[in-house]
Amino acid sequence: MTVAEVLEVVDPGILTTIQDAGRPGLGALGVPRAGACDPTSLAIANLLLGNRPDDPALECTLSGPELLVLRDGVVGLAGADLGAVTLPSGRRLATGAAHAVAAGERLSVRGGGVGGEAGAEAGCRAYLAVPGGFEVSRVLGSASTSLVGGFGGLDGRPLRAGDRLRAATATSVDHRLARNRWPIGLALPGSGGTVAVLPGPAATGERGRAALDLLTGTTWRVAAASDRRGLRLEGPVVELDVPADGPSHGVPTGTIQVTPSGQPLVLLPDAGPTGGYPVLAVVATASLSIVGQARPGGTVRFRLVAPDVARAEERARRDTLAAGGARLAATDPWDDLPDHAGA
Amino acid sequence: MSSTAPEPRITALGDAAVLVELGSTVDLETNRRVRSIAARITAATDALPGWGAPVPGACSVLVPVDPLEPGVRSAVDRLATLVSAAETGEAGEAGDEAKAARLAAAGDPPILEIPTRYGGEDGPDLAAVAELTGLTTAAVVERHAAATYTTLFLGFVPGFGYLGPLPPELAVPRRPVPRTHVPAGSVAIAGAQTAVYPIESPGGWWLIGRTDEVLWDPRRDPPALLRPGARVLFVPAPGSVGR
Repeated sequence: MTVAEVLEVVDPGILTTIQDAGRPGLGALGVPRAGACDPTSLAIANLLLGNRPDDPALECTLSGPELLVLRDGVVGLAGADLGAVTLPSGRRLATGAAHAVAAGERLSVRGGGVGGEAGAEAGCRAYLAVPGGFEVSRVLGSASTSLVGGFGGLDGRPLRAGDRLRAATATSVDHRLARNRWPIGLALPGSGGTVAVLPGPAATGERGRAALDLLTGTTWRVAAASDRRGLRLEGPVVELDVPADGPSHGVPTGTIQVTPSGQPLVLLPDAGPTGGYPVLAVVATASLSIVGQARPGGTVRFRLVAPDVARAEERARRDTLAAGGARLAATDPWDDLPDHAGA
Repeated sequence: MSSTAPEPRITALGDAAVLVELGSTVDLETNRRVRSIAARITAATDALPGWGAPVPGACSVLVPVDPLEPGVRSAVDRLATLVSAAETGEAGEAGDEAKAARLAAAGDPPILEIPTRYGGEDGPDLAAVAELTGLTTAAVVERHAAATYTTLFLGFVPGFGYLGPLPPELAVPRRPVPRTHVPAGSVAIAGAQTAVYPIESPGGWWLIGRTDEVLWDPRRDPPALLRPGARVLFVPAPGSVGR
């Protein structure tokens, strides 16, 4: 294995960054966690190639990048279907699958306008992995791009035209990988679904319970100002009895704050690790991928779950990933299994 | 622990974190308890799988945990024991006591001096702060530089420490319209706190000066100049307004 340049950025798209699981241990120093907004899809893109679930991959947003393939190889694609195609052939690249790519062709993670026409339920972020993961220096233990801090990934910034992305390359391409598809029957995230939440400290008292009812009873619109720091939700004004800005405390990803204007704000991986707005609810871990895929202009709905349900859903999510990964590893890709025929 | 100090409240915050709250008063004594509890938790859990590094707040500690193992329910129970021991000074298990003491002692480092150029281009809001507080610019500088501050907690952007308490006569609300670009090293005040912007970022605090000290460098170990408990003194550069 040697490290070589595998892809060159022709057009970076709206926002494409290198992400892995982020830097979870540095909140005390004010460091946002960063990492993939949809960790489930990051894992699937990697598992399709036999990588570790959180190896560094490209997180592509809405209208993704166009990449020139520098060497024959295989890519894993998961998450939102942004309409990826190879150019000039126009071959459609399904999400939840690995695909062979040839030197000289271009990989467009937005396709022939397909992404632009996608509905609000299509999701927001696609993950593109290569065997072994993209090679960048780890900063503070992670390859993730910290857009807020300006470090990690490629010099702490989104991809730009002319960047050449490096990865470990085998002497010969394992074309068998290119037949991998995420096993049918194991649900892919990012296809809508309501977000499981647990009540937060501000959901107490008559006013707090009414606010929680409003949160779970409303179809919220995702504001255009949403980004990797958080989803700003538009809908009815949420009124609380508690002060609009209390003493700051640690806030995990998925915390749903209420801003002084009464707007719910769902914290995503680039949010600051502490905050003082009242916390109405917190997204259950198993549902973080749904909020991480919510697209500006789209909608999001919440459902209140008991702690045991949140736990069961997270166990199911992990079991699904483990089962999918194990099945891919066990399958001889040369066999014509029904799973593949369904492609 | 004084008899009037509020009992710690330990509750799950979602399915992957537990919040230990010490009331809602932001003062140095509460903040000292926050650091002592965070040190105790770190000492007891940093080698355990599924336990994340505690995140101190103004008067709270957030403890991230894996939602399955240990899970928040058993983490709440474990933390209740740990917090109670930290508050009463009981011995911890298997050397945790000594480890926590080391961590707590490390949390009280020498005073960091931050050479600061006040006013002018470096502190474009100094005159506005003087107007808002009814003080002269020289008096604002003198009072800001006279106090020793404690890093209450960090947040917002990497290395950004909320320093307090600010002398009450310098208290001003945030700027009505935040700036989209605040230069790195800007020394600022808002509410009851002061801070140094570690990197260029947006910001709604009043900029009264600037330092060349590097508050955040991801290639340095540790990357942040400040950490919870760090004490800070601003030293006016020769030629600063008011000097």
